[in-house]
Amino acid sequence: MHHDLLAHALIRAAPLLLFGILWQAASSVGLINAAFLPSPAAISVALADLLAGGEIGTNIFITLFRAGAGLLLGAVCGIWLGLMMARSLKFRAWVTPIVGGTYSLPKSALIPLFALWFGIGSITAICAVYLACLLPMTVNTFQGVVSTPKVLTWSADALGTRKRQMLRIYLRHALPDVFTGLRIALGFSFVLAISSEMIASTSGIGKLVFLYGENGAYDYMFAAIACVIGVAFLCDRAMLAVSAWCLRWHESAADARAA
Amino acid sequence: MRDLIRPKIELRQVSKSYATDRGAILALRDTDLAIADGEFVSIVGPSGCGKSTLIYVVGGFLPAEGEVLVDGRAITGPGTERGVVFQEYALFPWFTVRRNIAYGLDQQGVPAAQRKETVDRLIGVIGLQGFEDRFPRELSGGMKQRVAIARTLACEPAILLLDEPFGALDAQTREIMQDELLRLWLESRKTVLMVTHDVTEAVYLSNRICVMSARPGRLVEEFRVELDRAKPREEIFLSDAFNRVRNQVWLSVRKQALAAESRNAP
Repeated sequence: MHHDLLAHALIRAAPLLLFGILWQAASSVGLINAAFLPSPAAISVALADLLAGGEIGTNIFITLFRAGAGLLLGAVCGIWLGLMMARSLKFRAWVTPIVGGTYSLPKSALIPLFALWFGIGSITAICAVYLACLLPMTVNTFQGVVSTPKVLTWSADALGTRKRQMLRIYLRHALPDVFTGLRIALGFSFVLAISSEMIASTSGIGKLVFLYGENGAYDYMFAAIACVIGVAFLCDRAMLAVSAWCLRWHESAADARAA
Repeated sequence: MRDLIRPKIELRQVSKSYATDRGAILALRDTDLAIADGEFVSIVGPSGCGKSTLIYVVGGFLPAEGEVLVDGRAITGPGTERGVVFQEYALFPWFTVRRNIAYGLDQQGVPAAQRKETVDRLIGVIGLQGFEDRFPRELSGGMKQRVAIARTLACEPAILLLDEPFGALDAQTREIMQDELLRLWLESRKTVLMVTHDVTEAVYLSNRICVMSARPGRLVEEFRVELDRAKPREEIFLSDAFNRVRNQVWLSVRKQALAAESRNAP
């Protein structure tokens, strides 16, 4: 059983491993100039050095805090906005044009503006993350709530559901869509936290990557990026696990386990 | 005491129209219907005639013109005295069988011990022991509909409103469910209003059958069914009395369906 799992993981990672081997081979025979793109071996050495020091850990935590705080705020406000849009036609009429108008705007374009308002540091980063998470949360929650079948709310009504409790029916029905929104927002939260740190911060993993790049320490830059990839991957897996547990009642639960 | 004079449910000149992009569509027109306490009444008619609309209006889910009275009082919305079962089951997918059945009692603040007693009894009635902790997605259609019926019965409604309750089930399961419903009605003598497109089902279960015309729906013909329900299904199905009514109702529905067809033809 244990061996099966390991073999399975290896097979899934095979394309990545192959890519790494080809990259290393190209570097070793001199096809790639190490001054422009360091070899995987050099990056590994830098990574070991980074992990041995405490600097990377602190900076990752700072970035995680910024991404997490923005995501949490964006999720709470987005769920509320989506619910209100779905339940009130008047509210929807006011908010829909705003959502539609800002949907395709790259939120990172606003970072310099936030830096002007809130200065260099966490608040600017959190604001950028918050804005980026808000829309996917709003849109997905809205979808989930408006698609609640009439017979479900009618049944709840006929069984004596009180008005306040009715919102729980809508939110529960929207939960699969809320998790879809959360997963998208999670990705955005990393992108925005890191780009905001590159532009307007003195700390965080984004700033670290930026500094290494500025100083030409590309092996360390890639090592820092590798840390980001690792942390983001773990966060995504954790999100998937939480969502699978919360949605174990949903029709998709059986499929998700098979995939 | 059952009130023998005042109907349990009464519809007076009920009309219902829906607003659509191409103007209002009249689904139900000037419907009068009185159902006595303990009566089982079925509404049959061609598809799209507004049968379900009638159930939704009596359920209090849709506002309509005219009056709907329950025990002589005009309804103002849904109420737990009118239990509803939909064709799509409409179970809460995030709750287990047990919590689905307990839901109504929970909303009414029934104490946990009493709630458990009722739920256990109903799980026994529908024969789903061992499935208490399953989610609806893990159940077959027949099992889901049993849970939906139990969930409704938990609130002890005096009236059952059934909207094509067995329409999504296969033929064998449907017959079993019909027998269970019949047994349940014989024991409890609740007032039942059922909508169905299955004429045989209507005759097998009801005291009275109302045939509805094509849209806008009106009740055009009425049939009384006098059968000894204590007899087994085979005996009832093979009896002349059963088949006579069945044929009459079938002809009446067919007439309405053909009328609708010719009206829709270019």
